[in-house]
Amino acid sequence: MAENTVYFEDVDLGDEIGPLERVARDQDVIDFCQLWGNPMPNRFTDQEKAEKTRLPGPILPGIMSMALMAQLLTDWASPESLKDLDLVFRQPVPHNKPLRISATVTDTRQEDGENLVTCDILMTGAEGERYVGGTALLSLPSRQAESG
Amino acid sequence: MVMDLDYDRSLYGVEHQAGPFEVTREMVQAFSKSIGETGPIYNDEAAAKAAGYSGVVAPPTMCTLFVRHVELPDIKLKFGRSRFHAGQRVQAKGIISAGDSLTASSHLKEVYPKTGRSGTMVFIVWETTFRNQNGQVVADVQESFAARE
Repeated sequence: MAENTVYFEDVDLGDEIGPLERVARDQDVIDFCQLWGNPMPNRFTDQEKAEKTRLPGPILPGIMSMALMAQLLTDWASPESLKDLDLVFRQPVPHNKPLRISATVTDTRQEDGENLVTCDILMTGAEGERYVGGTALLSLPSRQAESG
Repeated sequence: MVMDLDYDRSLYGVEHQAGPFEVTREMVQAFSKSIGETGPIYNDEAAAKAAGYSGVVAPPTMCTLFVRHVELPDIKLKFGRSRFHAGQRVQAKGIISAGDSLTASSHLKEVYPKTGRSGTMVFIVWETTFRNQNGQVVADVQESFAARE
């Protein structure tokens, strides 16, 4: 579990999660691609390769953006709390620029013995660019269950 | 108007397997470092074990790294001149930690058109199920690619 347990009873509609602020540096993306096994140079690491695919510059892999967005939620709750993360890549995400990730609680419900929280989640840039958006579903522990 | 898409429909129901993929401590630590995840359970084995895990915990979307190792066929879609990664979904079903061995099984989930302000796009969705060494499903991953005119 996370160091600070978030309980279902403490979460309400409209609650904001985050923000998580990050800058993905060139080297972070290179390290990520190396781990991924994606041969380099590629459009994620190289200016020329990016331009050949009509991008202004190298971008973050979609799955790296996803990992950053998941991090907001798992750091807030715990790794086992995250049940579903469904994202749409709206714009290429650049390197070396401030990224802001935040989520808003849109639903809370108890279903099949689980305490479920649904959120809208968004990654934006410094000028408000909406890079990646989507929804997340989390299952949180209950204070009642722990005290019972 | 319903759009008649031309692609290889015989691919439905065909599973494409890959793996096993060994999840090592070094891999989890490197993944965590590249995304700036400093939480002890993702980086320190002793901390992870003290928290009740069998090893350092893989952040829940880490399994997406392995999807590209599944050899997927061309669906021979006759639409569009360019394709891009449009979306990604991870449904986590269990914790993945260092020491686990994962296998992947992918299939074509759906192909559908969508028309918006920028015209019509066709979305190709592949779904990959990851199982651990005990046969337990630990994640379902969906990747969407859009073909654009």
